[in-house]
Amino acid sequence: MRHRASFWQLALVAAVSAAVMIVVAYAIPWLPYPASREAGRINFVFWYAEWISIVIFAVVAAPLVYSLIFFRVKEGDMSDGPPVHGHTGLEIAWTAIPFLLVTSIAIASAIVLAKNGRAGTDPLRITVTGQQFAWTFTYPNNQTYPILRMPVDRHVKLTLVSKDVLHSFWVPELYQKQDAVPGLPTHLVVSPTRMGVYPVICVELCGLGHSTMRSTAIVMSQNAYDAWYANATKAASQPAPGGANAGLAVFNANGCSACHTLTAAHATGKVGPDLDKLKQEAAGAHQPLDAFIKQSIVDPNAYIAPGYQKGVMPESFGQSIPAPKLDQLVQYLASNAK
Amino acid sequence: MTTPAHEDTHVGHADAAEHGAYVPPTGWHRWTYPGWLRVLWTTPLFAGIGIGLVVLLRWAASWHPYYKGVPITTVELVTIPLGFLVGIGGFDYWARYCSGKPTLPEDHSRHGARSWRDYFRINTDHKVIGVQYVVTTIAFFIIGGFLALLFRAELAHPGDQYFNPQTFNALVTDHASLMIFLFIIPAFAGLGNFVIPLMIGAADMAFPRLNALSYWLLPIAGIMLVAGLFVPGGGPSAGWTCYAPLCEHQPLGNVFFNMAVQWAGASSIMTALNFLVTIITMRAPGMTFWRMPLLVWANFTTSMLVVLATPFIAGSQFFVMFDRVLHTNFFEAGNGGYVIGYQHIFWFYSHPAVYIMLLPGFGIISEVISVMSRKPIFGYRLMALSLLAILVLGFSVWAHHMFVAGMAGWLRVPIMVTTLLIAVPTGIKVFSWLATLWEGRIHFTTSMLFAVGFIFSFVIGGLSGIWLGAVPIDIQANQSYFIVAHIHYVLFGGSVFTIFAGIYYWYPKMTGRMYNERLGQLHFWLTFIGFQLTFFPMHYLGLQGMPRRVADYANRFAGLNEFISIASFGLGASTLVFLYNMIWSWAHGPAAPGNPWRALGIEWQVSSPPPIFNFEEVPQVIGSPYEYGVPGARHVIFGAPQPEPVGAD
Repeated sequence: MRHRASFWQLALVAAVSAAVMIVVAYAIPWLPYPASREAGRINFVFWYAEWISIVIFAVVAAPLVYSLIFFRVKEGDMSDGPPVHGHTGLEIAWTAIPFLLVTSIAIASAIVLAKNGRAGTDPLRITVTGQQFAWTFTYPNNQTYPILRMPVDRHVKLTLVSKDVLHSFWVPELYQKQDAVPGLPTHLVVSPTRMGVYPVICVELCGLGHSTMRSTAIVMSQNAYDAWYANATKAASQPAPGGANAGLAVFNANGCSACHTLTAAHATGKVGPDLDKLKQEAAGAHQPLDAFIKQSIVDPNAYIAPGYQKGVMPESFGQSIPAPKLDQLVQYLASNAK
Repeated sequence: MTTPAHEDTHVGHADAAEHGAYVPPTGWHRWTYPGWLRVLWTTPLFAGIGIGLVVLLRWAASWHPYYKGVPITTVELVTIPLGFLVGIGGFDYWARYCSGKPTLPEDHSRHGARSWRDYFRINTDHKVIGVQYVVTTIAFFIIGGFLALLFRAELAHPGDQYFNPQTFNALVTDHASLMIFLFIIPAFAGLGNFVIPLMIGAADMAFPRLNALSYWLLPIAGIMLVAGLFVPGGGPSAGWTCYAPLCEHQPLGNVFFNMAVQWAGASSIMTALNFLVTIITMRAPGMTFWRMPLLVWANFTTSMLVVLATPFIAGSQFFVMFDRVLHTNFFEAGNGGYVIGYQHIFWFYSHPAVYIMLLPGFGIISEVISVMSRKPIFGYRLMALSLLAILVLGFSVWAHHMFVAGMAGWLRVPIMVTTLLIAVPTGIKVFSWLATLWEGRIHFTTSMLFAVGFIFSFVIGGLSGIWLGAVPIDIQANQSYFIVAHIHYVLFGGSVFTIFAGIYYWYPKMTGRMYNERLGQLHFWLTFIGFQLTFFPMHYLGLQGMPRRVADYANRFAGLNEFISIASFGLGASTLVFLYNMIWSWAHGPAAPGNPWRALGIEWQVSSPPPIFNFEEVPQVIGSPYEYGVPGARHVIFGAPQPEPVGAD
């Protein structure tokens, strides 16, 4: 039997499809709660596109589901459908309306993009360095830290550089992402609006330790940030006897804490061997402590601690760390080994 | 049948030449005749030539050591396949031509298949080549899918369980490379190979020998990719995008990736050229462009994309190989290389490649939906023109993969606009399919189920594509699991569903047997449900902060990943139903009638499988291929008086 299409039934199917989509869209917290001004704007574009998607999905799903229910025929039905070849009005409509909708998304996106690129007149400037497999953050006091600290409600302009291959800096709660490209500094503006501790993730495959290339971003009150920054700057300007501070600075600047645990440096990385136990490891390798440490930095595959894997630690530290700094680092590690 | 005294004379017998029966040579001629025995000695010979060449040149330049692994491996990946192709007979005709020997233009001994053995020889019959393509690509689909199940097992829990990071990255890289270069792209080439000449009323492709050669490049590329996994040092592990400079410092397996892409790309370009010339010059009388089935339109536009774009990925992989083997500096930042340049060149192919993987699928869906709804395709001309619109726009959107890559900032907005505009021609296609279904007489064969499943999944993939096209959303979603979800909605829910639709639709024509409809429908439902359960949750994971290509991830994503892994095993198992159905039905299925779907297309007006040269009489096209419901309408008639000359209009 031929089924006569009913507009009201079709509208009902469309309404049900849209309702399902709206429930899926709102019942699940798809995006992390925005923690920056940029994130708020991106969230707006997201929901704008989401609503257009809900409408389009309903418009597509309704005739699809309706046809599947009402226009299917039994096996052996030899009849043909009505020979409709087209409808100029409909075809113009489904060319023009999507054109207008996507153009409006493009305009909204372009405005948000322009606004999100503005860093104001006096941003805090931080250099983010990506290397296999650590993020480090260099502040205006020229000191480098393994954790990104930012004051709330201030524009922060990040300059991203890479020491080796491509990396990509992402803090999901801040909705901002940018690749770090060897040989080409790139920039990113973030303006945190919510205090908290957020993950920093590398999202560009950068080698064997890629999945462990994580750090932390702490958004703190302006007072707390000022206090931390003043302390950190003071500590850097007063070298402790024995060059321990210098060694710690080399340790931090090269991202060692991303993979290694070292109590003295508050490092808790779990990817590589525990540096608190260096004496034990040196004994295991039958080498004197200092020589063992130096070799492990310059030629990491020469001896692999039991339970760890070859080829994960980059072999480039021998070239990238100048000899005097390397000695400071070796000394620092040896003096803190237990 | 007498024993040929000379390798040229085996076709001299009148009966053999007439029907093209294959006469096997005997005695030591078996070693010089194109085939596997000749492969046995030409391959080591060419391997030796490769090693000799490298050692000789290094000795002449006094470079120590003379015998060095990386350059030798690279050269071997060219010479060993060449040796194989020479042995199997890929160049015999041209070798005769070049050396001034008499060629054998009427030699049909390598045309058509009379036993299963003929599928393992150089064969110039587009139908045999089509089957060779489809079976080979399904084999690599199984391997690629198995690799995915392996790393899904690893991803079921955070932390390292079964694979070290090197192996994990290699599995991910090979999964994507096999699925893209060895399954989706060539599977369409295979289906097209079988049906396009039939659909346009031609006896074969324009260049049958080139066609045979382009098929045999494919297993070479596939075996190279799989072999790369087992190379000392580890497989290619920089992802299928193989971004420089990371890929330049990868284990030796990466050279296998570089070279496999060249072989697959060469195969792809040769087939596309063949399709273009065939479609332009070999249409039956009366087959004007506006009477071509939409699959022919789709392969026409796809082939233009392949010919224009594929050389770019070849370039990108050659440059990477040169940087590694010849110590050039295309992409080494420290020595003046341009890192982002790699991405521009790579995506200038690899974005059009997405359309290379979709447009033929659109064509298949148009065929299936029109036939199974018993209605003409809605808005035929706009359907064809929207393919051309996608072709043109497709070349202007490559940089939307690079919104956060650090490319020139001004480029973001124009590329966003073109990217979003591609939704318009794509939308036209979806709406036209829906209008074709509307008030149709819908028959739910397996191919139709896959077509409808395709529309449903592809709309979701298209909508997430609009989100990704909008730069601000892309900044959040880029390189996360949201991308993994999107690409699978487009390439699995999109391309793979259309390949399944095409295989079920033309299975009777290709094999001469009917598949089991119940098993086909079971396969669809298992695949469809498994697919949705596996990939839909990935949207959420990505937006929440799970990056792609990681063996280890934050603990908060553990539950959902375990769910996804279990669903993916179900999805993998659904393929067993497909394989069983295909293999069993090919051997034992009931014989297929010439036109089981009551379709108007030319390919359905001949027997299943079609006769060796397709048509006893030249078909005469007299109308549109989609006139279902129009009383007395026909697309083609046979035996009409022929206007001459036969050829392009």
